[in-house]
Amino acid sequence: MTYCLHVGICICLVLLQTTIMPYFHLFDRFYDLLSPFVIYLSLFHSLRQSIPVILFFGIVMDSLSGGPFGLYLTAYVWLFVGVRWIITFLHVGDSFLLPFIVAAGVLLQNFIFIGTIAMFEPGAQFLSAAISTVTIQVLWAMFTGPIFLIFFNYSHKRWNSWLKKVVVKEN
Amino acid sequence: MIAVNIIVLSVSNSRYQSYGPGRIAISLISPFQEAVSRSIRFVKDIWVHYFFLVETAKENDNYKKALSHAVERNNLYKELKLSNIRLRSLLDFQKIITDKVIAAEVIGKDPSPWFKTIMINKGKDDGVKKGAAVVIPEGIVGQVAEVSLHNSKVLLIIDHNSAVDALVQRNRARGIIKGGFADRCFFKYVLRKKGVAVGDTVVSSGLDGVFLKGLPVGRVSAVVKPNSGIFQEVTVTPCVNFEKLEEVLVVLNLKKHKFQSEQ
Repeated sequence: MTYCLHVGICICLVLLQTTIMPYFHLFDRFYDLLSPFVIYLSLFHSLRQSIPVILFFGIVMDSLSGGPFGLYLTAYVWLFVGVRWIITFLHVGDSFLLPFIVAAGVLLQNFIFIGTIAMFEPGAQFLSAAISTVTIQVLWAMFTGPIFLIFFNYSHKRWNSWLKKVVVKEN
Repeated sequence: MIAVNIIVLSVSNSRYQSYGPGRIAISLISPFQEAVSRSIRFVKDIWVHYFFLVETAKENDNYKKALSHAVERNNLYKELKLSNIRLRSLLDFQKIITDKVIAAEVIGKDPSPWFKTIMINKGKDDGVKKGAAVVIPEGIVGQVAEVSLHNSKVLLIIDHNSAVDALVQRNRARGIIKGGFADRCFFKYVLRKKGVAVGDTVVSSGLDGVFLKGLPVGRVSAVVKPNSGIFQEVTVTPCVNFEKLEEVLVVLNLKKHKFQSEQ
């Protein structure tokens, strides 16, 4: 049932990102909304619960994006691995560190994207545009990322309590 | 007694005047009368302005609701009107294009700011094929990159993976329109000796076998002639406003173009 919640949240995030947010110029250079979700999965969920969702939505995002196939998948897997590695020596459950974790995640994802573009398009002239885009995304991530993490965690808790109630009623 | 009473009454009725005790009575009673009538008026005012206002407030709420519905309908009509104008323009454009085209709606945009694609609501079932040209009356939009049964992904000309064979309308200087960043394109491989000026219109050459000849691509916004090299660096601002893209036309008969390019 946790998979259902995760899939539902991811679908909402994808729809928000691809259909609603493009109408608002404010969010022109907003970060990928699935990256805080991947960070949330790596912080608060087991490998078994996280990997299928990450793989599935990596493929979904790759299908929707114009980038080379596998780019989002790569970015999400590395993001997951990176955050898992960080939590081995940092206590990131502390809400003070959350903005920095999300910002670092968004930065890592952008580096993967820029690296891929630079690799496939060696002559691409995008340095100034890239710097401003990355800066804006990191700032957005620092200020709004923790809100998303808290919301995901809260939704999960509510979902669990609702499920428990349903199970008790049935019994 | 009755007769006396009638006479007194008839006399007092014919010669009406106020007497001293009458005046005193009036001056004694009138303040109370005034007070009572004021109180009644006060209560009446309260009734009219407060209790009645509840009704008025309800009426007001109803009017507000009706107004909001009217505003909503008005917005809908405005939207329909705009949509009608856009579709008419597409229809007129469709008449100009001799090829078979299909109108499609934009249903989604690329999740990443690094890549420029859009999703449209027409796919394989509607005859859309990979590589088909996507245009609007203002100019070239892009090319179909992926097709599913009912949807397609369109690679916009501003994506860095896109390339369109084009020429300057004024002096026929040829080059390749490559996608850049910040919604700009680069007009690459334009010979240095060709005079390209800011404001020149760039149109498709038709030689890539995808786009029809003469479709507007954009306007030259900057020209840099480096000290060395045989090409000049030309930046082009696309004619299409990709932020406001809602409907597009997909050119369906790609075979003809393939044939032309093979020729």
